[in-house]
Amino acid sequence: MDHNWGYVAAGFTITFVTLAAYSGWLWQRLRRTRRSLADEGD
Amino acid sequence: MTLKWLTGLTVVSLAVTVVLALVVAPADAVQGDAYRLMYLHVPTAWLAYLAFFVTAVASALWLWPRTRSTTWDLLAGASAEVGVIFTGLCLAMGSFWGRPIWGTWWEWDARVTTTAVLFFLYLGYLALRRTGVTAAERGKRCAIAALIAFADVPVVHFSVTWWETLHQDATVFNPKLDVHFEGFWMPFTLVFAVFAFTLLYATLVTARLQLAELEEGKEERELERAIERRVRVPAEQVPV
Repeated sequence: MDHNWGYVAAGFTITFVTLAAYSGWLWQRLRRTRRSLADEGD
Repeated sequence: MTLKWLTGLTVVSLAVTVVLALVVAPADAVQGDAYRLMYLHVPTAWLAYLAFFVTAVASALWLWPRTRSTTWDLLAGASAEVGVIFTGLCLAMGSFWGRPIWGTWWEWDARVTTTAVLFFLYLGYLALRRTGVTAAERGKRCAIAALIAFADVPVVHFSVTWWETLHQDATVFNPKLDVHFEGFWMPFTLVFAVFAFTLLYATLVTARLQLAELEEGKEERELERAIERRVRVPAEQVPV
């Protein structure tokens, strides 16, 4: 039986890279917005 | 602080899911290791349903005059954005799983097609969120669109029983109970993966909602401050 580890590895890599990229973008934007609002308050 | 704890718990749960799915759970007797993609495909499909359900409920609460609040509109948008990512991943993982098992990357099967329609419906919803002059105008348009788009969710779910095309029956809520799991680790890993991805959904929506709340009205505030600064400057100092 062909175990198809290649498809499994590709699937896990694509999923976690996508989720990490979205999370990274979100956290960076959140941090930048918080900082700019804090600067506005000064 | 809550977001920090939620993020930490999510990262640990996802790491455990990867170990369970790739190392601990045994290979399937028929599909070999290709079935391991189920540990991504099923949780992402579940979260697409959950995300669009939250969007629909938040939209209904926004439309109802007694419960109308900007937070419901922003929550609807946050949940839809995360839902679109999970729907896209669900389609992609189905494709990666389908290639070795069905022998094709894509099949115009009832479940696959209705899920693709769902993906594009909510992509359109996200585009619609960028339109509208005022928050109220945007909220009304998007709430109605979200409720119309949600009609596709039950169609996606029941497509496997209504049309009986290539996609298998429901794995978890299977009325015929003919889905066979081997031993303890296969079902446990699936339940744990669903739990970990639900935590991820909660974390992402919390962060996205916080960002949307901070950004809401930012342009108006900046304009007000610019006008205030301009008013303070004596007329002779204003550059022509």
